[in-house]
Amino acid sequence: MMSGSQRFWFWAVVWVSVITLSAPTLVVLGASFTAGNIIAFPPEGLSLRWYEKIVLARELQQAFLRSLIVSVICTVISVPVGTLAGIAMARFTFRFGNAIQMYLLLPFTIPLIGSGIGLMMLFGQLGALGSLWPVGLACAVINLPFIIWSVASSAALLDPDLEHAAANCGAGRVQTFLYVTLPAVMPGVITGSLLMFILAMNEFLVSLLLTDARTVTLPVQIYNSIRSIITPDLAAVSVVFIVIAGAAIALLDRLVGLEIFLKSK
Amino acid sequence: MSTPKPFRYPLRWRAMDFLEGAADRLWPSKLSRFTGWLFIAPALILVASLAAGLVEIADNSFRKLDVETFRMSDDYSLDNYRTAFASDVYLNVALRSLGGALLTTVLTLLLAFPYAYVMVRTRSAAARKALLICLFLPFFIGQVVRAYGWLIILGNDGIVNHAISVLGIEPQRFLFNFPAVVFGLVQYMLPFAVLMLAPALTAIPEETETAAKSLGANWPRAMWHVVLPMAKPGLIGAGLVVLTLALTDFAMPAMLGGGSQDFIANAIYDQFFRTSDAGLGAALTLLLVMAGTFLVGVVLSLFGAGTLAIGRRT
Repeated sequence: MMSGSQRFWFWAVVWVSVITLSAPTLVVLGASFTAGNIIAFPPEGLSLRWYEKIVLARELQQAFLRSLIVSVICTVISVPVGTLAGIAMARFTFRFGNAIQMYLLLPFTIPLIGSGIGLMMLFGQLGALGSLWPVGLACAVINLPFIIWSVASSAALLDPDLEHAAANCGAGRVQTFLYVTLPAVMPGVITGSLLMFILAMNEFLVSLLLTDARTVTLPVQIYNSIRSIITPDLAAVSVVFIVIAGAAIALLDRLVGLEIFLKSK
Repeated sequence: MSTPKPFRYPLRWRAMDFLEGAADRLWPSKLSRFTGWLFIAPALILVASLAAGLVEIADNSFRKLDVETFRMSDDYSLDNYRTAFASDVYLNVALRSLGGALLTTVLTLLLAFPYAYVMVRTRSAAARKALLICLFLPFFIGQVVRAYGWLIILGNDGIVNHAISVLGIEPQRFLFNFPAVVFGLVQYMLPFAVLMLAPALTAIPEETETAAKSLGANWPRAMWHVVLPMAKPGLIGAGLVVLTLALTDFAMPAMLGGGSQDFIANAIYDQFFRTSDAGLGAALTLLLVMAGTFLVGVVLSLFGAGTLAIGRRT
């Protein structure tokens, strides 16, 4: 139990954090419904005019579509790769295990700008820049540790005896994998795929480096538009991200429970 | 009397038999020892693209840009590194990034520890859920939209300035300075830090604190002598992630710094896309990668992988 003064101080700090974390989201939501032309306080009444404006904006819609495609490519690549790697890291002992762990953490330890520039040069050499699959692939690589991580922590909870029991009852290797191992790591796979999808949807710096004027994704499009002037139509577009984030959280909570992130390994 | 139908294998059995047969042919049981390597190979290959990218960067960093033809030289030299080290501009940018990253790390951990602690220890499931949602929503919304939100709130023409002008106070310049960038980084890093700390705190049995308190320790002492030492792996993991992410961040300095508060990543970007000197840009990138790797290496070798560790605990 927390004592009285501890409760007071800790909750005070938590409230500061909660407000700081939530303020931009709430303000973007509010600004998107404003009736006025500029972002004003107090608000000048409610309207959906900015939403009407973005429904007609082809550029924004196409950027959104591209972001979706990038997310799908990233998820399709990273989920099988990450799931197998996560299972392997948790269930097998490797010679040079530590070195492999360090290697698989490279996407986190190499600064994002380094990874981005490197992939930009690499894809440039291959003549692949200008299409969307390099962006999806890049997102899969730079976020790969997330899914390996979540699958590995699920796999670590699976009692190896269950697999042995399945084998003992006559199940082959494929059957054991499909009916025992895979269902056991499913919470990790679900968490990981949602993370990969959302992070690819939001990825900004790598998108900025790997896209050109014809292939910009939505975060880059928003960034480029902010530079000139702040208008509420950008807030209305940003609400798309808020809605997607909300849906992903609801899904995550429904399927595996958000509390999974509090569990210790 | 009808003849009994011959027993037919269900489709699923046949599919399984086929798969098992295929597996036996493609990956015979005697290779089972290497199944782990088979599983991990695709991930190793994907990550190899980063290594290949680094090689590409290294190659470029030794080539000098010919200002007359605007081509990269064919022969290698260390000129780009000389330029990078000789210039005060890059030294300033590097010091600003490092200072900003260190400040961000300290502030983020100060905010993240109570957050994670309350979230893990609270008796109310609803409060825990609410705190988790407050954490995930910004994490899932992304940097650009969050920075945009802060521009609306704190910008020169933003909500706060409108509000205080109603009260008759002169508009203030909240953004486009160093504190604004650090603030932006702290609020961006907070979810990462809390999510890395929380599992470490979950692992600490509450009884240890109760025991400390029953032996006469007040809560600050129980925190300092019991909880913090036990949470060290989590704190190190979280601090490390925050430090490296802040040190190499691009969006916050670009959007909340307004061009005057560039971090290393912004300087690199400008070399590639404004000055178009890929050689110097590559040299700066490689220096940043080495600095980052060195930092991570030192911390990992001193304290171990902490909560960053993947898979088996050794």
